[in-house]
Amino acid sequence: MAHEGHNALHDLLTVRGVTRRDFLKYCGSIAAALGMSETMAPQIAAALEGAPKLMPTLWLNGGSCTGCTESIAQVDSPDVATIVLDYLSTNYFETIMAAAGEQAEKQIEETIAEGGYIVIYEGSVMTGQDGNTLLVAGKKGTEILSEAARGAAAVIAVGSCAVDGGWVYGYPNPAEATGVQAWLNHEGITTPVVNLPTCPVNPEWIVAMVVQLLLVADRDVAAFVEKTEWVTRSYTDRKYGAVDLLMPKGIFGQSIHDNCPRRGHFENGEFVTEFGSKEEAMGYCLYKVGCKGPQTFTNCPVVRWNRRTSWCVEAGSPCIGCGGLNWVDNNSPFFHRLADMQMGDALGNVQPGSVGAVVGGVAAAALVAHGLGMKAAGRVGDGPPMEEMKKYDRKRLAKKGGDK
Amino acid sequence: MARAVIDPVTRIEGHLRVECEVTDGVVKDAWVSGTLYRGMETVMLDRQPEDAFYVTQRICGVCPISHSHASSMSTEAALGIEIPNNARLIRNLLEAAQFLHSHILWFYTLAALDFVSPINALSANIADTYALAQAAGTRVADFGAIAKRLTAFAENGQLSFLGGHYWDHPGYVLPPELDLIATAHYLEALEMQAVANEVVAVIGGKFPHPMTSVPGGTAFVPTEQKLDDILFRFTRLKDFIDTALIPDTLAIAPFILETTTYGGGCGNFLSWGVFDSADRDPYNRFLPRGFVTGGLTAEEVGPDDVTEYVEHSWYDSASGLNPAKGETSVNFDEYNVDNKYSYGKAARCKEKPAEVGPLARMVAAYVYEAGGKTLVEDTSVRTPKALIDLTLEALGVAGKPEVLVSLLGRIAARNLEAAYVVDLALMWVNELVGAIKGGDSSYFKARESFDGQGAGLWEAPRGSVGHWIDIKNNKIQGYQVVAPTTWDIAPRDAAGVAGPMEQALIGAPVFDVERPLEMLRIAHSFDP
Repeated sequence: MAHEGHNALHDLLTVRGVTRRDFLKYCGSIAAALGMSETMAPQIAAALEGAPKLMPTLWLNGGSCTGCTESIAQVDSPDVATIVLDYLSTNYFETIMAAAGEQAEKQIEETIAEGGYIVIYEGSVMTGQDGNTLLVAGKKGTEILSEAARGAAAVIAVGSCAVDGGWVYGYPNPAEATGVQAWLNHEGITTPVVNLPTCPVNPEWIVAMVVQLLLVADRDVAAFVEKTEWVTRSYTDRKYGAVDLLMPKGIFGQSIHDNCPRRGHFENGEFVTEFGSKEEAMGYCLYKVGCKGPQTFTNCPVVRWNRRTSWCVEAGSPCIGCGGLNWVDNNSPFFHRLADMQMGDALGNVQPGSVGAVVGGVAAAALVAHGLGMKAAGRVGDGPPMEEMKKYDRKRLAKKGGDK
Repeated sequence: MARAVIDPVTRIEGHLRVECEVTDGVVKDAWVSGTLYRGMETVMLDRQPEDAFYVTQRICGVCPISHSHASSMSTEAALGIEIPNNARLIRNLLEAAQFLHSHILWFYTLAALDFVSPINALSANIADTYALAQAAGTRVADFGAIAKRLTAFAENGQLSFLGGHYWDHPGYVLPPELDLIATAHYLEALEMQAVANEVVAVIGGKFPHPMTSVPGGTAFVPTEQKLDDILFRFTRLKDFIDTALIPDTLAIAPFILETTTYGGGCGNFLSWGVFDSADRDPYNRFLPRGFVTGGLTAEEVGPDDVTEYVEHSWYDSASGLNPAKGETSVNFDEYNVDNKYSYGKAARCKEKPAEVGPLARMVAAYVYEAGGKTLVEDTSVRTPKALIDLTLEALGVAGKPEVLVSLLGRIAARNLEAAYVVDLALMWVNELVGAIKGGDSSYFKARESFDGQGAGLWEAPRGSVGHWIDIKNNKIQGYQVVAPTTWDIAPRDAAGVAGPMEQALIGAPVFDVERPLEMLRIAHSFDP
């Protein structure tokens, strides 16, 4: 072994009883999460093993529920994922740090003064009540973000709240929440922002980004941006206007529907129409109970959740599209399927896959690529009988007296 | 006289400030401030009731399951739905996983660093550490390897999340060997809390924010494989609780016995009750409903007994409202402890401040058991009174349950509750297997009504949670949440009476106002 005994990673692996075989396997899964070929695993392994000192990190909590912190705590431990995270020196992380109060605040000041750090931001940016809806150490949350982001090498916005305000931005947005990119645009701060939506963030994605930034790009932000494939999602914040969001393509480039293990039932027209039913026991498609998989672009079905234990659809719930933008307003009522949004009527008789692309705001080029992908997989054809489904929906709504 | 301030209080969920007036080393007055407003109640208006199940759990990333259950229960109460028995058992299992995750994470990751110094652990003698672990009946780890890793961490000069703290504070009194054991278990606890959440993922798809306890029952239909996955994980958790969490608590307690003399607080304990029994009576829940205000009796209590005051909170809505008629109109003013100083409303039960959480639930359960009530028929389950009595005996205070009303009592109650809950969980898995084998395949009941008002009163790991919903024509007209921490961090009410955490702080010693470790311990003991 080329790296025997000569670096921190090797020691950590040995101490924790992780074999080289496990390690390479994990590097392969990182490659997959980044949208690279698994044959890249040895290169990732080499980059990991050659890593220098810890990267100073400030993990800032905005208007958060702490769910993204909780999520990162769900990575395998003791395992390679935690070792990767050990490459971060989390100088400030309210939920886990020992210090409190004044001593904690000093940690932020010192890290900013030294420079060369990254910011991981969790939670909404709280601008309501003149920025007083979030106060930490008597300071407005918005000021803390601006100060930290200005000198940072990069900002990683984790979870939907940090990306676009999340549920807190939900109409009528009483606390005037917004996302990190929207706020930094407003402040004229040009530090690159990597956006990792879903509620909460999937911890594997943070690990993938950390690997990419620290190791594959050797902490060089320009190289990181260059070496990573991105998709750009655009939306309009009601207060701050048009915002473009950078997201890693390997994670957010494909729809949930395309990778869904229940997809075959969709093609066959086999649907769950009531929770906890016989059809659910047979693993039928959840489209008719409102699944937002067709319009939601994440690799959840591949990476799964909680150490690859399961994910929403496997447990029997329709996807509620928490990886989409302004997901609470755009996707509710959650139990009503896409057809109810009348997208089909507005755009002609389109299939769920392409409707998803439009709703997701992906560029036209991506739509074409997506369509080609579907064709290559032999999935387009005439598609499922959408008109019948719409009829069914209308009947169901009339019977139950519900409305949108 | 001096002011001691902790802002932010770290190692919690959310944003909290604690300010105390300290004279002659004792807290004379205290103000606790919630410093974040997001507005969930307003965001929920005009949406459909099922949407509330998915969205309102996002109030808290540590206890989303409890919020989701309270939300679904409020809708079920409003629309007159009784969920199927299998759904009851599955929700109990999901909630139990949440409790175990939260309690394990709280003790080791959030609270332990107030007592345990990983820095002091560097000077532990490894052989003595094994001897101590054996004597204490707590599980051993590769202590040498962990010490080596800690040393590398310290020598690197980057202390990361351990940096900047006052590890030289004289309040850190444990021998280095015990510090090393607790640090080893700190690392293992990270694994175990994740195992608890794998149960959540099996049932609910993911943690945080699981997806299946929809109004009407559950969307999760277990398979034999999934039930086995759940059983295996609860068995692992029981092993960890019995061989680390409980013995560690008992090993650390003798060194910090002075913490039984302060931190008790208001002495009023509220439990809405949690873990439904087959008859769905909240007073027959496995942790039953009750309000204890002194002595060994529990009063009946319900949704109408709650009022919220905003005289000292940054709202301009009316004060003294019951949540069924609640309003939330935010209006920030300056931080001023003599006037308004928190986004928290002052929740009151029967007009009294009420402590909620494991201590409150265990006190209520103890009172019921002492009065002759049987909480659970299965005799293999260790009940709250048995666990408390054993602990009191181990600490040399047998027959004095009043000792529990203290800082140490609040810590111990949480860990003892974990032991009770894991036993219950194992029992429910078997009950569910039996029901399914017996042919019960009902998990969900569709609603037939689109109008109604209801309250879902339940317990999160950190305390009583209530959701109030008002549905008209399938739209939410009113939504109010009284979260656990709302009770505990409540500011003063209209009469100027301090909230539970404020009262727990008053009278506590503070050795050094610049490094107020005791205040931090008390704040953490509520798991805010």
